[in-house]
Formats: sequence, structure tokens, C-alpha cells
Amino acid sequence: MGELRLMKGNEAIAEAAIRAGCDAYFGYPITPQSEIMEYLAAEEPHKRTGMVLLQAESELAAINMVYGAAGTGKKVMTTSSGPGISLKQEGISYIAGAELPCLVVNVMRGGPGLGTIQPSQSDYFQATKGGGHGDYHLLVLAPASVQEMSDFVPLAFDLAFKYRNPVMILSDGVIGQMMEKVELFEPRPRNTRFDQSWVTTGKTPDRERNVISSLDLDPARMERHNYDLQAKYLKMKDKEVRYEEIECDDAEYLLIAFGSASRICQKTVKLARQKGLKTGLLRPMTLFPFPEKIISKLAEKVKGILTVELNSGQMVEDVRLAVNGKVRVDFYGRMGGMIPTPDEVLKEIETKLTGG
Amino acid sequence: MTFEVKSDILKPEDFKLEGDVKWCPGCGGHAVLAAIMKALPETNVKKENVVFVSGIGCSSRFPYYINTYGFHGLHGRAFAIASGIKVANPKLSVWVVTGDGDSMAIGGNHFIHILRRNINVNILLFNNKIYGLTKGQYSPTTPKGSITKTSPDGTIENPFLPGELAMGAQGTFYARVVDTNIQMMQDIFVKAARHKGTSLVEILQNCVIFNNKVHEEITGKEKRDENQLYLRHGKPMIFGKNSDKGIIQSGSKFVVVKIGENGVTKNDILIHDAHNPDDTRAYMLSRMTLPDYPVAMGVIRDWQSDIYESLLYSQIKNARKNSKIQSVDDLLNHGNTFRL
Repeated sequence: MGELRLMKGNEAIAEAAIRAGCDAYFGYPITPQSEIMEYLAAEEPHKRTGMVLLQAESELAAINMVYGAAGTGKKVMTTSSGPGISLKQEGISYIAGAELPCLVVNVMRGGPGLGTIQPSQSDYFQATKGGGHGDYHLLVLAPASVQEMSDFVPLAFDLAFKYRNPVMILSDGVIGQMMEKVELFEPRPRNTRFDQSWVTTGKTPDRERNVISSLDLDPARMERHNYDLQAKYLKMKDKEVRYEEIECDDAEYLLIAFGSASRICQKTVKLARQKGLKTGLLRPMTLFPFPEKIISKLAEKVKGILTVELNSGQMVEDVRLAVNGKVRVDFYGRMGGMIPTPDEVLKEIETKLTGG
Repeated sequence: MTFEVKSDILKPEDFKLEGDVKWCPGCGGHAVLAAIMKALPETNVKKENVVFVSGIGCSSRFPYYINTYGFHGLHGRAFAIASGIKVANPKLSVWVVTGDGDSMAIGGNHFIHILRRNINVNILLFNNKIYGLTKGQYSPTTPKGSITKTSPDGTIENPFLPGELAMGAQGTFYARVVDTNIQMMQDIFVKAARHKGTSLVEILQNCVIFNNKVHEEITGKEKRDENQLYLRHGKPMIFGKNSDKGIIQSGSKFVVVKIGENGVTKNDILIHDAHNPDDTRAYMLSRMTLPDYPVAMGVIRDWQSDIYESLLYSQIKNARKNSKIQSVDDLLNHGNTFRL
């Protein structure tokens, strides 16, 4: 068993970054995730593993530092929250276009604009549909516990290098700020086992020089590049879907929720079953690729689906696409930092799904 | 732009708002707020023609605390927002309230460009040399070697001096004040408002929680007379408890001298010329730091140059005047027309 610690979600991300062999972190303070950089600074990772830490002058600078560092083949990351993630979108689009690996963590707060520093899940569209300009996707992981804040970091780096694609950990202020027991994984080497022939570390005699770019003015070549990207996303949809089923086997009513909302729904499942309502919970752990096959399958046997989110209804659109009209899909959400209680969600099941 | 309302109509209380000012007790911001409320009536501007614009940070909560129009914008972008406001509606008296993180880090680019364009906007830069709102990370003005939450071994970055940056960006008005002297702030804010062009006032502000006494060497009662040089246009650069020290120029450098020693008399001391088109001395004054020099306070540079929006509107006026089209009939009948 690994080392056990009581940690904040933000601290777990930071500790996991050091243990996962991250080479460099570039960030800029923003609530509710400033603890990530503060924890890293206090840990002095340059002494532990040689990891570099730099507080940039803005989120724009930070993501472009990531762009540069990722081009050298290193494991690099940045973290922020809503407004800062919006600023990073230009860089993320370029990184996706240039096919470089990196990790971006979004500890979501409520928007739009400056919004609030309270937790929210309102960046689902931005994270899963691209976010910046152009036809691209991030691999998006949605942790629901402090444990997963730690576990998803090495997974994210592996996926980033495997697909040469930016990976986002889409967390929120609840998971970032709450403290839970974490079993930490054993430290990993900083080098990666994946192919590195594309990096800008000089030209070896056996290959052409590498130039990092997302530009191609030849329309036919650009289209081919786009088809290659799309093929990559299809492969992700085939291989990388992750989800958790909680009491789905005999469920007549199905809740679908990710991240902190899924924690609330876990309690609702218990409350509903105490009342005799056979309720299950499907928790997507990857938001892109989205677990559409299992949702489609479950839709065939349940009487109704309720999607619960801390927003005005974003993931529910993907749920409805997956269900494709097979069964009624309802939505319940709260916004702007408001967090529903398990009882509130239970009431929604009773009024919307069971008709009682 | 002139305004017709007499100054005696408004009082500082007219700019007060009901409700709490949510800065920490002891924050330097309270004194700045008091000073601006005293200064605004002197600027002869109607309350409804004043707008305070801010970015993000503790300083940027300012628009919530003053009874004028307000605009709480994006981190670092207040200068761009203010540029938009002033260019679209030059009648307004536009004030930007920003901090060392907001203006020197994420907003550094917009900061130099508003100064370069010389748009007639007043900037109050709260410089507490720390990120207060996010609870204590270093900023671009934090002294090198400082231990903060994100620099446990000390910062390794060279800090910006806002004045140095402003001079480099061709700023036409730059003044420095301390948050412990409300009278000084009030005087300088009025001067900043009267200057035509971008006015930058750097306020050495204390952050009582995350960077307490950061300016103590400059503002402390025991040291301030020895460590501050309060500049007045046309007056010699004399400072010290007994007014016996001054600045002379030797070659390309300023030198601190004592009057009465080594044959130095009062007549040898440099006279401050804030209106000098050449900004060399303003640049040198803005760069003076302890312990070799006193820190320059007051109006360091106040030079009248072209204002962006004036040039812009005169171009529009000229274009109208010189246009062949002066009426709707002209418009309908100009160029290739034909009768059916």
C-alpha cells in the first residue's frame, strides 16, 4: 500500500505532478486553485526530482511556456480556473494543432466572466468541444475525489504522450478545496516510454530536422492533417472511454453525473433505494471521449434518466445524443456556486422520473 | 475638454457610497479612497461624467466603493477598456485603478500602449509589491530575493519600477505618492486629472496582511524625511530632516550631496523641471532607489503632448470637411448614377 495522506484536492494534484515525473510547471495564481502552485513551491520540486516551477506573468504566458517546453519532449503542465483557462485557449488550440503532449488542469469556478470563486461545472462545453478555434479535442478526465486528483495525473501524462495531444483534468472548486484520504502512488521516472522522434532536441543524422508548427497553407495537406487529427480522436473514442457504474445492474432510474455532482448523486442513490426506488449512477470519468455506448445500453433498460450538473445543462446534451430518444432524459442543475443536496436530487427523481 | 460645473457644487461626501468597503482594516486602499474623494470635487467634473475602471486584484474593487460610474473589467485589461471608453466618449473623466500584478504582469502590454498613445486617462497604480487577492504570491514589483508563497527560496526575477516602464513607453505624466500622506495624494490626484494625456500615479501602498511594512523605509515617520525627495516643479531637489541634502548631476549620474560640505551651496542643487520635453532626468528620478538615493515623490514628469483622441477626432472632422459628400442628396447622386 502506498503512502496515505490527508490532503486537499489541489495539493494532491501538485504532489502527483512531482511523483509522476513532471518536468516543468508554469502557472499564474487564481482562486480556487492557487494551492497547486503554492504546494509545489513549498515542496521545492527542483530538489526532489529536478522539476522546474515558474510563476508566469499571465495565463497566456504560462500556456505558451507550456507550448515551448512541450516541444522539447518534456512532461509539462499548467493549472488554472475558468477565466485563466479561457485565456489559455489560444495556446491550447495551437498545442493541439501542433500535436504536442501536455497537461492542463481546470479547477472550475462559476462564470461567465469573472463570475464567482465558488465551485461550478460550467466549463464542460469549453473543455469537451474544443474550447479554442479549429477542429480539435482534448482528452478530458473528470476526477470525483481527491484520490482521483492524484491518480489522474500520471494517467493524463501517459495519454498525452500516447496521443501527442493536450489532456485536461476538469476538476472544480469542491474537489480542489476539500480534504480526503489519498493513497499516493510510487514516484515514477521523469523520462517517458513513448516515442520522442518529434521533439526539438536537435537533428540526428537519421532523420529530418523537426519544426514545431500548427500552420500549413497547402489546403490539401492541411485537410490531411485534419483527417489525421480526427482519426486520432476516433481512436480515443475506441480505446480510452472510462466510467464508473454504481448500482446500475438492477436500476430502473439512472442518474448521470461527473465530478463533484456525482458525489452528491452517490448519496442520492442510497436515499432513493431506502425509499424503494431502484436507482443507479453512471459516472463518466472521461468526458472526451464520452461514454456514449454504455449510456445507450443502459437507456434500453431504465425508465428514465436524470443528468445532474453544477451548470445550466451542458453534459445533458451529450447524454441525449447517446440516448437518441430511447428514454426520457431530464436535467437538474444549480449554478453560480450553488450546490444541490442529495435530497434535492431525490425530489427531482420523484417529480420528474417516477411521476410521483 | 472643459466642463461647465463649478467645483463648489460637489463635496467629498457626494462620492461616498453606503455599505462596507471590503478591504482589510489597515489596508492602504482606505487612504487612497479618502484622498480621491477629496480630489474629485477639485477637478470640476460632474459626478455623472466620471467613470472608474479596474481590472482584477484588491485595488480593482475600487469601483464598488465610489459613487461614480464604475467598470470592473478583466485582469490586466482595464487600460484597454478605459481606452475604449475614452475614445468612444471623450467627454468622460476616466480613471483606471490597478495594482502591480494587474498592470505590470498580465496587463503590462496594455499598460505601455495606453501610455504610448497618450489617451487622456488617469491611472492610479496601487503598488504593494505582492499579489494580495490570491493571498501572497510575488508580483513583478516584488524585490529580488523576497520570500513569498511561490518563492520559498526567494524570488530570482528582477522587479519592474513602474516609472521606469512608463518613461520607456513615452509616458507624459508620472507621479509617485505614499498611502500614508492623504494631502500629498489629494494634490497629486488633482494634478493628474488636470494633465492632458495619460497620467500615471504610482501609490506606494501597504498590504497589511501579506506584505506589511513593505514601504516602511520610505514612509516610516523616523525615516521619511531622509528617504523621500518631494519634487516640486521649479524648486531645487532638496531633502532631509534639516533640508540640507540635495541632488546634483555629475556626468551622466545623479549624486547626493550635503549643502555646506565640500563647498556645495544651495545654488548647486538641481532645479526640478517636470515640464521638460526631454525625459532623461524624469527617467533618472524614477529610478532612484534606497539606499544610494532618496525615493522621488510628487510629480516627476508632466509634459503636454498630443492627445490620441484629440488627433483622432480632428481627423474625423477634417475627413468630413474635405468630403465631397456633405448631404444625403450628395450621397445619393455621387459616383456612377443613372436615370430609369
